[in-house]
Amino acid sequence: MNKLGITEQELASRRAYFQLTDGDLTRLAALRPFAERHNDAIVDAFYQELILKHAESRLFFTDQATLQRAVAAQKRYFLELFSGVADLSYMENRLRVGTTHQRIGVAPKWYLGAYAHYLRLISDRLLAEQGPSAETQEKLRSLQKIIFFDMAIAIETYIAAGLDALARHQAAIRELSTPVIQLYERVLLLPLIGTIDTARAMQVMENVLMRVVERQAKVIILDIAGVPVVDTRVANHLLQTTEAVRLLGASTVLTGISPQVAQTMVQLGVDLSKMHTRASLEEGLELALGLTGRSIRVKEA
Amino acid sequence: MAARVLSTQEMKIASEDDVVLVRRAVRALAERRGFDSFASAALTTAVTELGRNIWVHARSGMAIIEELEDGLRPGVRVEFKDLGPGIPDIDWAMAGGNSTASSLGLGLSGTKRLVDDFQLQSEVGRGTSVRITKWKRF
Amino acid sequence: MQSGQIPILRIGTTLLASIQIELRDTTAQSFQEDVLKAIEKSRSRGLIIDITGLDMVDTFVARILTDTGRMAKLMGTETVLVGMRPEVAATLVRMGFSMQGVHTALNVDEGLALLAQLQGAQGRA
Repeated sequence: MNKLGITEQELASRRAYFQLTDGDLTRLAALRPFAERHNDAIVDAFYQELILKHAESRLFFTDQATLQRAVAAQKRYFLELFSGVADLSYMENRLRVGTTHQRIGVAPKWYLGAYAHYLRLISDRLLAEQGPSAETQEKLRSLQKIIFFDMAIAIETYIAAGLDALARHQAAIRELSTPVIQLYERVLLLPLIGTIDTARAMQVMENVLMRVVERQAKVIILDIAGVPVVDTRVANHLLQTTEAVRLLGASTVLTGISPQVAQTMVQLGVDLSKMHTRASLEEGLELALGLTGRSIRVKEA
Repeated sequence: MAARVLSTQEMKIASEDDVVLVRRAVRALAERRGFDSFASAALTTAVTELGRNIWVHARSGMAIIEELEDGLRPGVRVEFKDLGPGIPDIDWAMAGGNSTASSLGLGLSGTKRLVDDFQLQSEVGRGTSVRITKWKRF
Repeated sequence: MQSGQIPILRIGTTLLASIQIELRDTTAQSFQEDVLKAIEKSRSRGLIIDITGLDMVDTFVARILTDTGRMAKLMGTETVLVGMRPEVAATLVRMGFSMQGVHTALNVDEGLALLAQLQGAQGRA
């Protein structure tokens, strides 16, 4: 529910937009006995004429038990259209169904096609039973409104799920683009590869800060050998990260500074004097170990 | 897609306690809408800075908290309104390093860097309105 | 102004203040006064301010913390700020707030070690 941010305020504006009035709900509630009478026949026809007829949708029902469960759920779902309410719990319920559809892989085209089919089946029966009076037209209009109201929720659930997947993928990419490695006890390394724009710089900083606290690291080495362009903007991001790491109580060592980067930095007037910097990762590691009170010694032969 | 407003909450700011209440309300909303901890900290900090501006400079005002959705991306917009003295020179105030009452300096320019959108309107003698918006990151 | 909302413990010549409550402007101001009075009373040499409990630090509170460190220094006490959360550090840096001159450490233990180091250096000087 929260995912779509449905509030009373939003519910009211939705109902106004779909022109789903209390009158419509009352008419639908009055149709309930009719719907109950025809429900079994409609749902059965619905499955026979549509779902089981098409190979794609038939695939969902590999066994009889699954089919029976689905048919029972379908019957409840359709009867709820005639409950006479369209409140938050109704929407929540519809959202849940949408989420289930999305999860098990019911494509939007099947959902919409099936709902259109259902609407035809029930309209035909209503017309046959009650005649094409103005009153019947009113009832059909109410039914159409709530079905479209339902469909909007379902489609939004699909979109939300898609965006969710996108967010998960982006988080995964983020994770991959800032791989923080523990080199030694309390010494971390982040090899930066590729272009650094503002969004990525922010992710790098946040990831570095989280890892430093999580591992209680004293030093983090940022290796920029794999960053093609280091301009003032990138340098400023690196300075910000260094300052933030300092606020946590740790130090940053910047390595992979090529002659070209050193030239650019000085020409641009970027003050890197507050940073520990080294040309190579190897020297950076020596410095980092020194900062944690250790050193690398060559073993005497 | 135009952002739609899902809910609106108006809160008065006439004391330090009110600023705390607004901050809590905004944090609760940001967390409920799935903002990550960095975005939520940035937003609550911005709200605190602007809320404090109201009771320091104007003594009282309002915070209007709106829950937004753009497509299906959640956002939070907070507008701070007061009928205080207004800001005589907005560019100067926004340049950073300038603050009259608190000597803190970074109030407005720093706050702007914490949010996705920052709109400031002010008229001397009439009051000030600052509207900030922050969207959930994907 | 309420005083004493943030307990200040004394361990040897070191004072330890752990901020566990949501800081309001007035609480932050009285905290500064309490700390300075405690330094005067206890003749301490070091002060550790643990802000692990703060999920937000705005410029006002950051300024009070920085100033408290500077004031303590004038009274002969070194200050180490420990336990800043990642979100807090990122926000302060993005706002352009500089806490220059403030010593920092990851946790209280490291803070104590840093104080010992700073005091040792001072002793030798």
